[in-house]
Amino acid sequence: MQYIYSIVKADYLQRTRSYAFLLTLAITIYVAYLFVPPVSASYTTLSAVGFKSVYNAAWVGYISATMTAVMLSFYGFLLVNNSIKRDTDTEVGLIIAATPISNFRYLLAKQLSNFVVLCTIAVCTFAVSILMFFVRGAGYPLVLAHFILPYLLFVLPAMFLVAALAVVAEVFLGKRSILQFIVYFFLCGVALSSLNTKSTAPPSGVLDPFGLSLVTSSIKNEINTRFHQHIDQVSFGFIFSKRRPFQLITWNGINWTALFILSRLLWMSFAVALVYLSSFFFHRFDFKKAAGKKKKRAEIVPDHGGLAVVPAGISSALLPPVVFNYSIVPFIKTELLLLIRQGNKWLWLPSIGLSLSMLFTPLPIASLYLLPALWFLQVTRWSELVTKEKANRLHYFTYASYKPLQRMLPAQIIAGFLLAMALAFPLVLRYAIIMDGLSIINIIIGALFVVSLSVCMGILSGGKKLFEVIFFLLTYAVVNGLPFTDYPGSQPQHHNLVFTGVLSAIILALLLISFSARRYQVRHL
Amino acid sequence: MALEIKGLTKQYNATKTGLSDYSITIDKGILGLLGPNGAGKSTLMKIIATISQPTRGTILLDGVDIVSNPNFIRKVLGYLPQDFGVYPNLNAYEFLEYIAAMKGVGGKDLRRRIDMLLEGVNLTADAKKPIGTYSGGMKQRVGIAQALLNDPKVLIFDEPTVGLDPEERVRFRQLISEMADDCIIILSSHIVSDIETIADEVAIMQGGKLITKGYQHDIIEQANGRIFEVLLESSDVAAFKTKYKVIDTSRQKDRTRVRYISTDQANVAAARPVDAGLEDAYLLLTQHNA
Repeated sequence: MQYIYSIVKADYLQRTRSYAFLLTLAITIYVAYLFVPPVSASYTTLSAVGFKSVYNAAWVGYISATMTAVMLSFYGFLLVNNSIKRDTDTEVGLIIAATPISNFRYLLAKQLSNFVVLCTIAVCTFAVSILMFFVRGAGYPLVLAHFILPYLLFVLPAMFLVAALAVVAEVFLGKRSILQFIVYFFLCGVALSSLNTKSTAPPSGVLDPFGLSLVTSSIKNEINTRFHQHIDQVSFGFIFSKRRPFQLITWNGINWTALFILSRLLWMSFAVALVYLSSFFFHRFDFKKAAGKKKKRAEIVPDHGGLAVVPAGISSALLPPVVFNYSIVPFIKTELLLLIRQGNKWLWLPSIGLSLSMLFTPLPIASLYLLPALWFLQVTRWSELVTKEKANRLHYFTYASYKPLQRMLPAQIIAGFLLAMALAFPLVLRYAIIMDGLSIINIIIGALFVVSLSVCMGILSGGKKLFEVIFFLLTYAVVNGLPFTDYPGSQPQHHNLVFTGVLSAIILALLLISFSARRYQVRHL
Repeated sequence: MALEIKGLTKQYNATKTGLSDYSITIDKGILGLLGPNGAGKSTLMKIIATISQPTRGTILLDGVDIVSNPNFIRKVLGYLPQDFGVYPNLNAYEFLEYIAAMKGVGGKDLRRRIDMLLEGVNLTADAKKPIGTYSGGMKQRVGIAQALLNDPKVLIFDEPTVGLDPEERVRFRQLISEMADDCIIILSSHIVSDIETIADEVAIMQGGKLITKGYQHDIIEQANGRIFEVLLESSDVAAFKTKYKVIDTSRQKDRTRVRYISTDQANVAAARPVDAGLEDAYLLLTQHNA
């Protein structure tokens, strides 16, 4: 147990001692603030068909806990699904592989450190929820149990499972991050869709990994019993709808059952069992073995150097004369090549399929849903745009190159932009046919925004995670119709020059920050 | 061509100093930098390579201050850092094209230049394979090739022979000896024999300061008459080490030959003076200034 504690501690400190994590906490606090909207807000985080509760302790506590469980399950996975990868990249894994620690103990330690990281974030949202109770509160008494119990029985078990799934995804899908995201989000979607199943039996929440069906059914029962309604749908998330008066209910929380508490323990045991099973498939940093026969690329090329080959040597007098050419075109070419080759080549299939499908699907669906989803599929490409030099320890060369700020960084931005536009081309083509110039401009501005955001987040944080998490939240918000996050300008109300101007100003600010920060970095290694 | 470094100081924080009022003039030829870990060798090289800024001081290349005008040296710089990486998805040819773009090297002969450099470092056969599949020595050779892409006039090699096998090390030495007629080469290595065989001049650093700089024989001269060898019973070696700075020991059956530094031969019976080498001089000077 001592080893596990030491690994968890080291892993936790390594992850949390970074500006990126501080920024994540800052964003989390802001998002937690949004969980409890003011009465006059145009959105709600729990929609029960025209009903909502007064802001008593139960409503604020449970809403905050359920939103934390849902949102943190989504973006928390993105945050923690690199614990084994870090050991691979830093080659600490090779040292670990040579120690007596078993695969299971190592993976369990990774799961626990993922869990502790997620709990740190959850503690922040918990603190903000109590603060929000006083900010939004209408004089109801503070009942701490309404805050502590939902966090303890919804959030912690859910985070324990997310932490385990992140480890399992790393074991089975390795560095194929985007495939991990797809599989994981699909599983989350399935789990959340079970929240409103029309079963006649009272839901106990036992089979629901988040346990949230207990909350939805309790709210439904309250409304249906007291107001003689027949609502069967309660939704979580940032839900925007035309403002209308809500009918107020007084919801006093749920009654916990021993069966439900036992089910949380069973889900946590299931998480440990998953980690245990995956330990049989863990590569233990032996990549030749893990790659198998098909992955010849992973094999080390035999070195033909040495005495076996007669060296030709290098004579500077015989080398062709150097011709200087300070164009950025060769950079753009290589940056595009790197973007294209990033990740598994088969993952281009869904991207190309989604891109081509924009030729046939109705325009609103293509622009509101398909384009943001398609661009999100490129998240791992864009997140590496300006971070790959440091990740591959190539920044010594790039920073010492001729005018890196005027040549290298613009080339990276242009390459990222070209990728976004190439994928959006079918949609651009359709808008061009119907002569909708403003929509085309919005797509161009949207592409520039995503690339500028990735560049800015990458340069400021020095890593990929911050952009990946923010881009996920942004895509989630866009697909859910959150108006102020509509960076591709897909919503009808954004077909105007004011929107284009505001987004252009944001892009300009992001680029200014990026160039200023990179200017400092190239001279302060 | 000359690189003139005046009063260079790099202060990381209140307690940590990388370089302290460091001044040196480097002319064409090979300058070997020697010094223990933390002496400031890499810091000095990074500052010359313009990727780190000094707290104080100037570096003039042909009279131009490269601290305020870094692009002046970047055009003629070849730099091989100690701990560099590569893009694993590119092959050696694509990688060198990329670095050429960074250095602003192009033209129709670029392809031929890359071919010849790859041939020179023995990578032609594997040039089309992803660098991610290369061994450590092969990556190091790609690093050497990239440093030569722009016909550099200032070459900085930080621990260049790490990962190279003995034959490759010999070839590397020949390579940079050829280039030394026309450019400034600054080379750091922990392997004193590498410096001894390649460098024209040697600069010994310690604690961010320059201890000495000069031609090898002048530096070695400082140690002559102070290096001795003696055969001891193996059981006596530990006690001997407490009195003298031992440079090397080698076991000979039941006895041990000990090479050591002393100011006075008379203190040890049967000790004999021996010719000093660069390693002896280095250890003597760094011990003296410790």
